Amino acid sequence: MADSDDSKMPNWKRDFPIRQEEATHISRREFAKFLGILSGSLALGNGAIVVKSIAFPGNDPEGEYFICNESEVPVGQMKQFVLEHTVREIPYILIHLDKGEWRSFEQKCTHLSCAVRYRADIDQIECPCHHGYFDSRTGAPLQGPPPRALPELAVRVRDGKVYVAAKENNQTQPS
Amino acid sequence: MSDFRESQNRAHPNKTNTLMSGIVVMLISIVGIQVWLLYSALNNALEDNLNIAIASFVGSVLLFVVSLFLLKYLPAPRGK
Repeated sequence: MADSDDSKMPNWKRDFPIRQEEATHISRREFAKFLGILSGSLALGNGAIVVKSIAFPGNDPEGEYFICNESEVPVGQMKQFVLEHTVREIPYILIHLDKGEWRSFEQKCTHLSCAVRYRADIDQIECPCHHGYFDSRTGAPLQGPPPRALPELAVRVRDGKVYVAAKENNQTQPS
Repeated sequence: MSDFRESQNRAHPNKTNTLMSGIVVMLISIVGIQVWLLYSALNNALEDNLNIAIASFVGSVLLFVVSLFLLKYLPAPRGK
């Protein structure tokens, strides 16, 4: 019988059988073992996310950064800038919504990191790649595929100069 | 001489088959839940929501332990 032969066969020979049907055949036993390995890999991946979150917490910019003069960005316009002093260079947009009302958000869409832009005609932030829309005041997603709000910076205007800084209650810091 | 195990196997010839299918279905369900946990952990970790990431990691590890435990009950290969 083939079964009795199987038990005597060394593992290396069982792994590299001569006949094709034996090579392509996957038993339910092997499939179950594979699922066990897959389950372990997923647990490991989940652990990697935790390690990454602890080792590299959110890199909020420290201190205050001068962006431009107030007169450079008229109402309904936006200005792009990059904070180079953070760990990574992150592009941001500064929006002049109304007289004295400013907002600053990360320019990367939370869906697939496309560059978002402010549209004054609809007073929303648009991601042109997949037509995602964000609230121009809170950065919350309104429509389309973006799953999360745009990270926001605090904007301070002093003596006609616009500065940005990390927003204090922006994100839940890891404890 | 026939023993209890042999009589049981003879009385229920489909038992191994059912057991195998049951284990495979349970393992697939476990992997499905783990994929969901991984997705939620990733989505929340991007918002610096570490607590969800830790909770889903613990859940995922527990499910992995359960899947290893299930493998213990895999029926022996034919001929053994």
